[in-house]
Parts: sequence; C-alpha cells; structure tokens
Amino acid sequence: MNYGLIVIGGGPAGLKAACSAAEKGLKVLIIEREAQLGGILKQCVHDGFGVIRFGEKLTGPEYAYRDITEVKRLGIECLTGTFVTGICDKDGGFVVETTSAQGIRSDFTEKIALATGCRERTPRQVNIHGTRPAGVLAAGACQNFVNLKGLLPGKRAVILGSGDIGLIMARRLTLEGAEVIGVYEAKATPSGLQRNIRQCLDDFGIPLHLKTTVTDVYGDKRVEAVRVSAVDDSMNPVGEGEIVECDLLVVSVGLIPENELAEKLGLQTDPATKGIAVDQYMMSAGKEGVYAVGNALHVHDLVDYVSEGAATAGADAANTRKRSLVKVGAEGLMYVVPQYVDVSDANEKKTFYMRAPRDMAVASVKLYADGELVAERKLKNVKPPEMLRIQFKFRASDSITLRLEEEE
Amino acid sequence: MAFVEKINKKLKKKGLNVTASEYNGAVRLTGEADSWEEVLEAGRIAAHVRGSRGVVNDCRLKGRSPETVRMPKNEDKSLEGIAPDVLVIGGGIVGAAITRELTRYAVTVAVVEKEYDVGTAQSARNDGMIHAGIDLKPDCKKVKYNVRGNKMYDALSKELDVPIERPGQLVLYTAGWQKLIFPLIKLRGLRNGIPVYPVSPRGVKEYVREPGLGFGGFMCPSAGIVSPYLMTIALMENAAHNGAKVYVDTAVTGMEVKEHKIVSVATNRGTIYPKAVVNAAGVFSDRIAEMAGDRHFTIHPRRGVEAVLDQKAYPKAKCVLGKFVISGSSGSGHTKGGGVIVSIDHNLLLGPSAKECAERENEATTREELDEVFEKQSRLAPELKRSDIITYFAGTRAATYEEDFVVEKSAVTTNFIQAAGIQSPGVTAAPAIAEDVARWAVQEVLGELRKNPSFDPVRKGIPVVREMSGETRARLIAENPDFGEIVCRCEQISKGEIIAALHTPLKVDSVDAVKRRVRAGMGRCQGGFCQPTVVRIISEELGIPPEQVTKKGAGSEVAPYPKRGSV
Repeated sequence: MNYGLIVIGGGPAGLKAACSAAEKGLKVLIIEREAQLGGILKQCVHDGFGVIRFGEKLTGPEYAYRDITEVKRLGIECLTGTFVTGICDKDGGFVVETTSAQGIRSDFTEKIALATGCRERTPRQVNIHGTRPAGVLAAGACQNFVNLKGLLPGKRAVILGSGDIGLIMARRLTLEGAEVIGVYEAKATPSGLQRNIRQCLDDFGIPLHLKTTVTDVYGDKRVEAVRVSAVDDSMNPVGEGEIVECDLLVVSVGLIPENELAEKLGLQTDPATKGIAVDQYMMSAGKEGVYAVGNALHVHDLVDYVSEGAATAGADAANTRKRSLVKVGAEGLMYVVPQYVDVSDANEKKTFYMRAPRDMAVASVKLYADGELVAERKLKNVKPPEMLRIQFKFRASDSITLRLEEEE
Repeated sequence: MAFVEKINKKLKKKGLNVTASEYNGAVRLTGEADSWEEVLEAGRIAAHVRGSRGVVNDCRLKGRSPETVRMPKNEDKSLEGIAPDVLVIGGGIVGAAITRELTRYAVTVAVVEKEYDVGTAQSARNDGMIHAGIDLKPDCKKVKYNVRGNKMYDALSKELDVPIERPGQLVLYTAGWQKLIFPLIKLRGLRNGIPVYPVSPRGVKEYVREPGLGFGGFMCPSAGIVSPYLMTIALMENAAHNGAKVYVDTAVTGMEVKEHKIVSVATNRGTIYPKAVVNAAGVFSDRIAEMAGDRHFTIHPRRGVEAVLDQKAYPKAKCVLGKFVISGSSGSGHTKGGGVIVSIDHNLLLGPSAKECAERENEATTREELDEVFEKQSRLAPELKRSDIITYFAGTRAATYEEDFVVEKSAVTTNFIQAAGIQSPGVTAAPAIAEDVARWAVQEVLGELRKNPSFDPVRKGIPVVREMSGETRARLIAENPDFGEIVCRCEQISKGEIIAALHTPLKVDSVDAVKRRVRAGMGRCQGGFCQPTVVRIISEELGIPPEQVTKKGAGSEVAPYPKRGSV
C-alpha cells in the first residue's frame, strides 16, 4: 500500500502524530509492535498525565484512550503486533517492511515518523557487579509485572536511581504490600520530578539516599542482598559500603531513545539527546521526510509535551517546505531540541525544549541571533529533571545560540 | 619416592608450612597456608615432577570453612535403581559431546547434571572460540585434542544445525622484532598441523579498522567461533534424540567402590547402578575422582571475566584479535592473554581475564576485573568504547596444576573414565575427547565397539526468523503465525522461536534456558522489554502458574507473588 505518512510506534507520540497528519488529509498508517496501542502508558496506572494538555489528572491508560479514540474516529489504519524489520529509501519516499502473525508486508510512504520510544539503561550499564540472580529488574519491567501481569517480583525492595519510574515504582510496590527499604541515587540531586519525590517517597516515608549507589548484588538463585556505597563527585564508590538485605533490586537509571531504525536510514544521533537531530517541526536535519517524535527524539518529563511535539510533526508532514536550516548552538545547557531551525518564516513562534545541567534558583535563557541578544526569558527554580519549554520569535539569521545563565 | 623428598625441600625453602607425601601415584600436599597464593605456590612446586601422576593439593587455607557446593533443591527417589550401561557425570560441553558419542554405540546412557539446565557453567561462560591451538605447547593433551577437535567442527555444525564461522585469529606483535620469530611459529604450526601465515602492518587494517599495535602479526585461519552453550545444548539434544537420558537438577553425592570398581552412584534423586562411569564434572571433577577412588589431580579454579559489546561495535574488528605473548618456561601465566573475540552473533567480546580464586562456583564479576579486561583488550582496537559494553559475565576454569587435560581410562578404578581438568581450549577439544572417552567406556561395558544401528547424527535447530529471507519467513509464518510475532525486539526473536525452545528433546522451563536457546533477552535492553512476555509465554505454554516461572531453576522465580485480588 501507499501512504502519506507511516508512523512507527503506537504510543502517545505516534498516536498524536498520526492524528494531526490525518486531520490535514494525509493517508496514515500506524505500526505498533505490541498487541495494543498506547505504548508505555498502558502500564502507567498512576495519575498525573494530561495536566497541561487537558487540564485534568489522568492515568496513563486514560490519556492513551483519548488519543486512541481519536485515531479510531479519524479512521486511521493501524497494524498492531507488527514489527518493522526493514526501512529504506525509495523514489523520494520510503519502503517499510514488517513482520506480523499475518505474514510479511511491505508498504510505501512519502514520509515517516519514528515514534519508537526509549529503552531503559540496564543494571550492567551502571557498572553493577556480583552475581546475576532473579530479582534484579529494570523499573519498567517491574512495572509491567506488577501492573500488567498482576505479579509482585519481591517483598523487600531496594530501588537504585531516583528517575521518575523508580519513584513511581517505590510507591506502587509499597501499595502492593512490599517493603521499600530505600531509594539510592548516585547523583547529588534527584533525577525525578519534585512532585514525584513528594507524592511517591515523602508521603510514604521512603528514604532517599543521595550520592549513594548499589555496587554489588549477592545471592545465587534470588537476590539476597545488595551492597550500597557512598560515591564521590565523579560517582565512583568510596569506602566499603554496607550490605542491605533485600529480595528485589529495581533499577531506574535512565532512558535511552531507541534509534535502531534511524540508524538503518543512516541518520546520526545527537550525542546529547541520543535521538536524531531535527528542526522545529521534528523533521530530521539530515534527511527530509523523516520525523522523530516523543521519547525516541529525546526523553521527555511529561507526556503532554510528547503530544505537543508529535502534533507539530504530524501537521508538518502534510506540507512541502523549502528548508533553510540554521544550527542552534546550546551554551550552558545539557541539550536543546530542535538542534536546527528552519528560519524561512520570521513571524513564526518557535518552540525549544531543553534541559539545565544543574539546579539554579534564578536563571535566564538568552537567544542570540548572529551574536546579538534578541530575546530573553527569566526562569525560577530550574532543575535538570524538569524540561524547559520556551517559545521564541526571531528574525532570519545565520547563527542562533541559546544560552542558559544563572543569575544572582 | 624420590620426588617427595625433593618437593619437601623446595617447599621448606619457600617457607611454606606444607608437607608432600606420596598418594595414589601422585604428590599429596597437606598443611595450612596463610593465603590462597601460598596454596597455589605449593601446588605449582609439586607439579610436573617425573614419576608423579599429578598433584593432590589438600593444603588448607587458614580460617576458611569447607566450600559449599551449589546443590539442587529437590530430593526424591525418581532415579532409584536405574542401571544405565554408562553414566556421564556433568552436562557441560564435554559431558554433552561424550553422551552423544556414546549413543553411536549399542549401550544405554544416562547423564546427570546438578544445575537446572545443561551447559550453564564453564560451557556457557567462555568466549566460544574454536581455537587454532598455535599457542599451545606441542605434545600436551590440550594441543592433541584441540587440533583434532578443531577439524571436527565443520561436520558437527552441519549435523547439529549450529552455526560456526571461521574468521581466523590475528595475533598482533607487540614489538617490531617479534616478526623475526615467525619462522619458529610456522614450524610449530607445521608440527601440530596448524596453518599460519604472516600479516603485514598494512594487512592488519583489513581486519581491524584502527589497530592499536602497528607491527603486523600472523593469522591462524583455522580459528573459528561458535556459541558454546548452543553447541552444548545441540549435542545433548541429539544425544537425547538417540536415547540418552538426561537428568538435570541431579547431583552426585557419593559412590560405592568395591575392589577397584564403581558399584553404585548416589544422587539426590536416588542411587544409580551404572556399568561404567565417566567423569566430566568440570570444576568438581577432582571431587568426583576422589569418590571414584582415583584422585591424582586438583582443580584450582581460575576465574575469567568477559565483557560483551553491542553488535554496533562489530565493524571495528572483523576477526579474533590476540596479542603475541611469549610464554616463559616456568611461571604461572597460563592464559593465552585473551583478546577481542568476534562472537557468532556478532557481538564483540573482550577478555577473558585470568584470576585464581578459592571458590569453584564464584561467578560474580567485580569492578576491578572488568576495568582490567577493558583496559587490556581495548588496546588491540582502541576504537572500542566503554559505552559499547552491554553486559559482562564471569566463569571459573577447571585448571589443574599440570595445566593439561586429564583424559584417561582410570588406571585404578576399572570402570571409571576421566575427562577432567578441562578448561580452555575445552570447547574446541570436546568432540575429540568424546571420541576417545566413548570408545574406552564402550569397550569396558561391551568388550567390543558394537555400533548402534539406528544412531541419527542429525539435529534440527530452532528456525531463526531474523536470518530468513522474506520468502522463507512468509512461508513459515503462514504455517505457524507465532513466528511472525516478535517478542524480543533487540534480537528480533519471535514467539514461535520461544515456544519451540520449550519443546526440544531437553525439556526446559526457565527464562535463562530460553535465552541460551534463542537469544531472547540477549540484546541491548537485556530483557527489559521481553522478560515479562517470555514469562507469560512459558506459563501459558507449559501450564505453569506465572508466579512459578523461574529465571534459572527452582528458587529463582521471576515474580513469585501473585498480587492480592489477581487470579
């Protein structure tokens, strides 16, 4: 079949990108590898989704349900249980090859949106040693067992990493009757949102140990204990540490955008985001017609922003633009998305997503065009876990730089 | 015996509180040492002595309680009274190759393995190299079996449907003058039947994008790679297909030996009455030898750590890379130095390290060892990055003080055959060792080498969907739609493959057993996404409640508690 847009991934990013493209009249196909649409939201049974977009606190499945309803209303074609095995350029568009229980199939599309989400960093990627027993799980896998499979993986849990999923799982495991001994974070500041620290740890009396990590796992068949140890400023363990008895180690140490398909298309990833570099419509800077949305592009803090970016991409897929791209410099920031801007429309308000490298009480983001300060936003209480979203309008220029400065 | 005197003198000179005596034709060491290093030193002093069968090192380490052995949790009488012609102890690659080889003959065979699956110890915890053997000393058992075994792998691969590749091993010189030694290496190769040719510094670049050593080297084209655990599984599946009985979770706890003959073998599942017994017990092979009344060697475990790199790093090294090591005449350096190994699944492996350790089953990794492995081996291909590492593992080698294999028909216990002390290059050597061991065992039982007329050497592997052409894949999915449902996204493993892994001749029911058979969970997410689904498939397919599905056998339930209110 021929499509205007094929969206790979049926999570919140893919669903929204598909809807906004279909609204513009494109023939859209969503390809989802799991049996049901909704992506990771399916297992996020806690609330807090949609505050910005809907002005309501929804659960993950409720949030996904709204987009799925919209997908159905728009009559968008969906292939679930379908895995993309190949993707290549053809006649200015792309051929997407898939495998499913129905067999193999090959479709042509003019444009493509990668909404493949992200995967979790593994315990081994944070240098955990010792044995390899049952009871060591990535936080998302643990969440899947508890919320989708109805199984509790342990009764005495240690959580490594204060990322949002780890915090959510601390509360979830507690509610399911497990004892959560503590959350250990190697960094000096928590990795998750403030509201999650409050609602998931403080409200349940779960201690958060900063500048502390898990170094070793003990136990043959099942985890019997872990060794926790203080770390120095470069996050290397110092001293002997102490043994904490537990039967479950939940690891929530970060997410990595899944970009295997982008790599198949020969696209380089931005080392800062681990996603591909895009313009303000989320279109790849290196290849026209390829979009990346959601956590495959960069790891978001809130799903509301995932949907926002995906909507931008979907709507743009219906356009033909003559691009004039300028690289966006980032100073004093961990990263900025988009990494490039199409400066052909000076009247357009451009949205930037970025993250600060450390806590700042007062700061400002300054935008320089051709070296000249053209816009500035004051910010309060800046924290790395909370993504910054700022819109700027600026004239066409040859160089654009965003700079985050801490203020007294 | 004269050698005892000499050894005692040497031990005294070194200030060791250890005494040598004669025992079973070997040197027995007793006493108490302050450190594990001292225990090892005493053992090395007593090794390689003319007239001695080996070293029985019973030297105790001060303050150390006897080592505990990981034992199966089950106890029953289900094997009570069985009487196979041959009992093989140990389900590693050596035991598996021997068991299969035995089924070629008109004998009944049983194999006992104390772990939950075959091939979980050394056989899973190595780099899967089919060694050329150029680095081995001429005339030792290792080189003899290695060269023979290496040549058997092509046929084995075809018969058992287990892929092998022969990318060759490139040994890099660490200094320019070393190329002058090449004629000697060539000569050694000729003597052992190992092809080898020189590679110029420029030629090296065809294999390594950015070599860390610029002096050239030499190539051993017969070096190959195989999945060692898949080969173990395949050998054992084929053995089972040909009638061998494979008992996992079954540990040998003792033997009754009368008049130099094993009468019975006690296990946690009852007493077995075999006509002949084969010792392929890996790191515990000296313990089994003792039970059988013929201990003349000692296993001193040597741990190795290997790092597994993301498949994305594969283009950086296209063959196995090693570094030229000049082995001293004495010395304790008994590692080939490891290197960068291309695995059959095109992950690069770095390692292994070699560290003597007191515990036979200490398979825990440490930060220091991993750092050492990475720093040492990444020098061969400096392009490799720390962040390419997706996982790492450790295993313990069954090293003896003679640093050679013990492959023999026992000179003491008439119906006992040993394939003991097998460490690197054990994977390569296993098929050749198996030929000899099986012949000795069959001769012992039958008094002749009578064949099994219905032996079928062929084993069909599980279809590998990710490697199929579109057409083949479509046909398979049309036949069975489960092969179209991808469960492990990193490695593209289908539900059909996972189900097939559960229904091979060796019944398995754990997540790790599935992983070793079809690679589900071996990719860059390390099972983060697929593990809950694999647990569900095992539960549904085998009718086990999901909370009872294990990672690696009883006691390792992945998610052991059903939630309140869930069914």
